[in-house]
Formats: sequence, C-alpha cells, structure tokens
Amino acid sequence: MYKGFRSESFTAWAFMAPGLLFLAVFTFWPIIYGVPLSLTNYSVIAETNYVGLDNFTRAFQDHNFLISLWNSLVYVLIVPVIQIISILMAILVNSRIPGVKMFRAAYYIPVVTSMVAVALIWSWLLGNNGVVNYLLLKAGMISEQVSWLSTSSTALYVLMFITMWKGLGYYMMLYLAGLQGIPADLYEAARVDGAGPLRLIVHVTLPLLRPHILFCTLISVMGAIRVFDEVYILTKGGPGTSTLTSSVYIFQKGLEQFNFGYASALGLIVSVMVGALSVLVFRLNRKGGVNSY
Amino acid sequence: MPRSLRYFITYLLLILLALFMMGPFLWLLSVSLMPGRNVFANPPAILPTFIAFDNYVQVWNFMNFPRYILNTVIITLLGVVFNIILSCLTAYPLAAFRFKGRNLVFTLLISTMIIPSATAMIVHYLTIQAFQLGNTFFGVVLPAAVSVFNIFLMRQTFLGIPADIRDSGKMDGASELRIFIQLVMPLVKPGIAVIGLLEVMAFWNNFLWPIVVLDDPEKYPLAAALTYLNGQFSYNFGWIAAGTMISVLPIILVFLFTQKYYMEGIAGAIKG
Repeated sequence: MYKGFRSESFTAWAFMAPGLLFLAVFTFWPIIYGVPLSLTNYSVIAETNYVGLDNFTRAFQDHNFLISLWNSLVYVLIVPVIQIISILMAILVNSRIPGVKMFRAAYYIPVVTSMVAVALIWSWLLGNNGVVNYLLLKAGMISEQVSWLSTSSTALYVLMFITMWKGLGYYMMLYLAGLQGIPADLYEAARVDGAGPLRLIVHVTLPLLRPHILFCTLISVMGAIRVFDEVYILTKGGPGTSTLTSSVYIFQKGLEQFNFGYASALGLIVSVMVGALSVLVFRLNRKGGVNSY
Repeated sequence: MPRSLRYFITYLLLILLALFMMGPFLWLLSVSLMPGRNVFANPPAILPTFIAFDNYVQVWNFMNFPRYILNTVIITLLGVVFNIILSCLTAYPLAAFRFKGRNLVFTLLISTMIIPSATAMIVHYLTIQAFQLGNTFFGVVLPAAVSVFNIFLMRQTFLGIPADIRDSGKMDGASELRIFIQLVMPLVKPGIAVIGLLEVMAFWNNFLWPIVVLDDPEKYPLAAALTYLNGQFSYNFGWIAAGTMISVLPIILVFLFTQKYYMEGIAGAIKG
C-alpha cells in the first residue's frame, strides 16, 4: 500500500515536472529575483552595486510614481462599475427570442479583437474632427470640439471608457452563464407570490448571481491594476502625467530606461499592494461561496 | 405588457447596443473602403460614397503582410501547442492522483495570480537574454508557455472523468502515460479546445512582449507590425484601416466559427 502511494506520488511529479519547470522559470523566478534586484542599482549604464533600501525611499519621494499609484487607484475604483452594465446586458441577451445568439456574438467581438486595433479605432473616433465630437455636437451635448485624449481632465476617463467597452462582452458572457444556471421554478415561485420584474431581479437574480458578481469584480479589479496596453498605445501616460498608471510607469523605468533595479522596487511595492487587495477580495469571495479551491 | 410590444422593446435595445459595440468596427470597415479620404475631414467621413479595395491592395503591397501573417501563425501555433501539452500534463495529477505536496502545488499556483505582469516582464527580459533567446520566436512564446489559469481550467475538466477509466486501464496493465494519452486525453477534447482558443486569441493579439523581445521588425507579428505602421504612416488612414481589418478579420472569423465551445468554456471557468 505504502509503496503504491509512493510510486503514484512519483508519477504525479513526473507528469507535472515540465509544466512546473516553466512556471518556476517564468512565474516564480520573477517574484523571487525581483527582491534582490530591487536592492541594487542594476541598469545598463552604471556598474551594479548593492544600494540597500535606497530604491524604496526614492520611490516614495518620486512624484510621478505616487501619481501613477493614484491613477491606478482611480482605475481600480471606477472600472469595476462595468459589472452593472454587464449584468443588464446579460439579462437582455438571456431573452429567448429569435436571433439573440447573433447579438451575443456581436457584443463579444471587442473582447477577441486586439487592443492595438481597438485603441486605433477609438483614437480616430475620438479625434478633434472625429465622429464622436461630430455626433455630440450635432446632438448639442457639447458646444465645441473636445480633444478627448489630449486633455488632462478627460484622458484618463476616456481610457477607462475604452477598457470598459472592450470588457463588457466578457463579463456579459460570464453573467449569462450564471443566469442560465438559475432554475426557472424559482422565478415561477416568485411570480406566483406576486413579484414584478424589478423584484424578480433584486430578490432572485442578483442574490443567485452573487458568486459571479464577486468573481467578475475580482477579475476586473486585477485587470484595472494591470491596465497597460490601452494606456501605452494611446497616451503613453500623457498628457503630462494625467494617465500615467503604475504598470506604464514601471515599464518606462524598466524596459525603456533600463533601470532594472529601480523598476523592480516599484514592481515590488505594487505587488504588495495588489496582494493585500486580493486577500481582501478573496475573503469576501469565501463568504460569497465562490470555490476558489 | 403585450408580447409584441415586449419583443419590440427588446429588439430595439439589442440593436442600439449592437450599434454601440459593433459600430466602431463597421466604421473602420467603412474607412478602409474609402480610398484617399481623410477620416478627420469635416464633417467626418462615416459612410463611403463609393467602395474600392485600393487601400487593401496598396497596404498589402507596401507592408510584407505574408511575412507578418506567417510570423503570427508560427508564434500562435507554438504558444498553443506548449500551453495544451504543459497545462494538461500539470493539471491531470492535480485532478486524478493523490500524492504528497498536492496542496503545496495548489497554494503556489494560486499565489502567482496576484503578481502584476509589468513587474514580471523585467525579469523575463533578463531571463530571455540570459538564455540567448532574444530576437527569437521562442523568446516570445516561452514566458507564456503555460498559465495557471489553463491549469485550473484543465483540472476542472479532468475532475469530470470517472476514476474507473484509470482503474480499468491499470487492470489491463497500461502505463500511466498510456492511460493518459489513449484513455483520458480523448475524453477532454472540449476542454482542450477551450484553452486552445483562449491561447489563439492571446498570442494572436499580443503586441508588447514581441516588441520587447524582437529586435528585428521583420519578425514582428501582426499586432506589433500594426503599431509600427501606425507610427510610420499615421496620416494615411485608409492604409492603416485596411491593415487593421486584415489583422482582426482572422481572429473574428475563428471566434465566430468556434463561439459555441468558446462561450461554454468561458462559462465553465467560473465554477472553480
């Protein structure tokens, strides 16, 4: 019996070895190696020296880094609001009417398209003489053209809008799966008790979607912290520092200016914050009953 | 509310939403079919007055599209094959075997999900340079050769396979590897299709990491080449629009033909 267990254990590790090897090199190693790296001034220009906690004290005095943290925080707080729209969309495409599958697919297309393409299209649509300004002027909602992406006060919100627009279909699909898992008799029972459409949503749909809501919020929070592509392609953090998010700033320091040591320290600070945030959301999750193993 | 009115309202909402979600793509298609027009003309060009494929022909001749498409296909295929093999091999014991250290592996896997990718990218860059894989397709693919998400998704699929199958294979004297390849793998084809599709999308659309790893723009995949084109010819809207259409059409077609699997798979991800 014992021998059997041991050989099963050996086989299990043999199966997992290739995958774990890759994870070790490309997932665990960056976490481990980031720590010693953050204590050096490793870069391509100067000799590498141990600098202790200098990078960290520098980080907290780095005005741009603090701004990038703030911008990321705004992103994290606002982008998950997308959930409300996605749930409404899911309820809409859950109707059993002819052709509804076609609409589901149409709403999902932004999700499968590359961010490069999406960013490009929106940058044109949002240009000074672009379609958005034209339509808003025609509708009388603005009185003069707005440079959406090159005005400090609007740029970050425009990027958030693009992030949300691209993500709507993904969350819609997850909620749709949740809706389809709700037994029809629950609605019947509530209807017999005299509940109207709004009460059905508030008292039947939303409570039963709770695990999905928590799961989707978690993914969108993580996505908002990591947000990179749309910012990098469209504004590179500008104008000024108005759209500088922490990922973009770390990338600029690390892979554009090749300050590997300093960038690792910044990454570590953000990782600790993300870690704390995830623990918080996971706690909520456990109560909500999502089985995250 | 009468049934017909409810239908009317539902379709109205569905169509308005479709305009919002698909409108930008339809407009891009429209711009790509307008030769020699400026998208920033006032009033902006929304619908083409006549349809022509000049932009497609010109951008196709100007940019080495076959080359970029080939690059993208190679990177995507490598990425998909690595992901399928590695995540199946890793997930199978986690679902079917009892062994010491199983919980440890789980904890390690979950803990990786909180690390922001920009941080990892710096060390990946140093690792790829150390392995002398800079400027190679392997350098592009390897850091994403296996993902924790795929492992969890496959584990979920393997959990649905009855234990009897493995036992019966053992009774017949088959090795574990043979049981895995001949008995278990054929039963999880839907799961494999899902992670395959997810990775096709991810690798096809990836633009940043390829730019970081590849020094030679001739090796760029489509999405990266597109940012390059946009930087060089930002005034030639028709060309860029046509180039963008060429890059997004394949992935949209793949999605439309496989959406059933894809959507079931996405939905399955949440059950944890």
